[in-house]
Amino acid sequence: MSPLLACSGLTMRFGGLTALDALDIRVGKGETIGLVGPNGSGKTTFFNVLTGLYKPSAGAVQLAEQDLFARSAQEIGRAGVARTFQRSRLMLDQTVFDNIALGALGRLDLSLLSALVLRGRFRRQLSELVERATALTRRFNPQIAANLFKPAGSFTMIDRRRIEICRALVGSPRLLLLDEPSAGMTHEETRALMDDLLAFREEMPDLAIVLVEHEMDVIRRISDRCIVLNFGRKIFEGPFDALIADREVQTAYLGGAQ
Amino acid sequence: MSMADLAPSVPAQTARSGGLARLAVAATVALLFAGGGFLLHAEQQGQVIALLAAFVAVFALAEKVPVGRRIVGLCRAHPGTVNLTAAVSILAIAAALREEHYTLLMMATVALFATAAAGLTLQMAFAGVPNFAGAAFFAVGAYVAALLGNTGIPHLLVLLIAGLAAAVLGLVLLLPVLRTRGHYAALVTIAFGLLLRAFLEVNDVLGGPQGMKVKSFSLFGLDFSRMTEIGPYDVSFYLPYALASCALFGLAFFLVRRLETSFVGVALDAVRSDEVAASVFGLSIARWKATAFLLGNAMIGVAGALYGMMNGFVNPNSANFGDSLIMLSILVLGGLGNLWGAVVAAVVILVIPEKLQAIQEFRLVIFALLVIAILRFRPSGLMPRAARDFSALVKGGAK
Repeated sequence: MSPLLACSGLTMRFGGLTALDALDIRVGKGETIGLVGPNGSGKTTFFNVLTGLYKPSAGAVQLAEQDLFARSAQEIGRAGVARTFQRSRLMLDQTVFDNIALGALGRLDLSLLSALVLRGRFRRQLSELVERATALTRRFNPQIAANLFKPAGSFTMIDRRRIEICRALVGSPRLLLLDEPSAGMTHEETRALMDDLLAFREEMPDLAIVLVEHEMDVIRRISDRCIVLNFGRKIFEGPFDALIADREVQTAYLGGAQ
Repeated sequence: MSMADLAPSVPAQTARSGGLARLAVAATVALLFAGGGFLLHAEQQGQVIALLAAFVAVFALAEKVPVGRRIVGLCRAHPGTVNLTAAVSILAIAAALREEHYTLLMMATVALFATAAAGLTLQMAFAGVPNFAGAAFFAVGAYVAALLGNTGIPHLLVLLIAGLAAAVLGLVLLLPVLRTRGHYAALVTIAFGLLLRAFLEVNDVLGGPQGMKVKSFSLFGLDFSRMTEIGPYDVSFYLPYALASCALFGLAFFLVRRLETSFVGVALDAVRSDEVAASVFGLSIARWKATAFLLGNAMIGVAGALYGMMNGFVNPNSANFGDSLIMLSILVLGGLGNLWGAVVAAVVILVIPEKLQAIQEFRLVIFALLVIAILRFRPSGLMPRAARDFSALVKGGAK
């Protein structure tokens, strides 16, 4: 069976700097990949290329047989790739619902006619979306579900991260990219968020996840398979236990003893 | 924010309690409009100063004292009552002041500038596209009215064509505006405004520096400038203009509010707040900025056309940068994104300097101090925009 996401020879050059160097990465349906590597190794660049924020220099990207190489962010988003950001990109002045709705807008009726005159369709879609957002947020924290129309900025860091994940999930993506969900959180908060992730993992068995993380504990608990990047190259691929035993990975992270 | 603050809010319950709340809202709005009406009409300095003091007190206290907060919350929870009371109040003011030329002229001017501000609201407050050429698009509308006013095309259609013309002319700007951001996009629009004014000055077909006469507005064969009585009442010929201008603002208000409370509004807000997140989730930044820019310019153009017809002439000076800044000030002072704020700010900016004539040039000092004070004490405007709350639109409530 062909994988959900297949990147081959994916290369991203910024002038003379090769940020991604002929990456071959495959992600199967329902698989969770832990993507690790030192700072500057190309993890976030990989996400930015996958979501169309950067145009890759060479290679091939396919999502379920659909060619996504160098497509626009909009096309890629509509093809079913959703993500969160390392630094929160919520609209803090707007309500939780508005933030989550953004994740579904690509599939909703955005014509001026139905916004201005034929409101029936809009209202139906709105009711459905409110229901869906309520169900989704309730799974993470009932307090969010009960305050769907409060500004996102009035929630704690961990709840904001949860709202971001809900925004990425509301459009029923096929591939979810999580960029350091534990960044800036305490150990307890990280653990709580991991519990959430594992819980919805079971409810969405087909969803493929790529997770960038520095917390090895998180990687160990969540990922089926790990990929290590260094200087834009893949230096390791395999299960977590093999990862921590791998000499090249240790050298990349801790520096080599000559 | 603590969990206690996150508890379901009071307005959700009061929304259902109805009657008394609606009455309070209606009384508040009627009172505010009555104050506005008095200000429009007041001629003695003492009255003007007293009204100004009352105005400052209302806005200083509205969110400081519990009663004020409660009333603001109620007004937000009952937009229908607010709008209805406002419409009735405007009709009442117009009826009471039906013979006062100057007052009605001010009223129409405020309504038309507020309509232009509605267009700018779409562009700047929603989509985040700066437009420092508001007066230029306003003037385009007036010039179209001058060119087509005598051709026998029904004037309602002329207004529509004026809006279209402003939107089409805005297309020239679209590409550079979409390719730049922030200050740079602002500079592009400033340059366009200067360019348009220079073009109008040297162009003899459009009357050169002298400008053109604009035929007065007539609706279904009823010439507004000849209207001096309605039934048994003598009226100023500015009365129909004042009413038409308010109706035009009402239409603009309706359109902008509808867009705001739809998925289009969410899309525009997302495009403004975070282009990266918006495009990752499938929104086309160019499409939404272009939509807001063109629709906004069309609204400004229509308002400009009626303004030109009311004044009877238009010249290149109408497209000056200062007037564009006045439109922007109305937007910022009122609170970006809140159209009632734009109305109040239009009164502050357009009416107050006129009302302080007696103290000569000092009026500009007082006016400037007032503007600075507003921005110092209410940095997000007189009436900041509230977060969009869809819960009223969802059948049976969300919770």
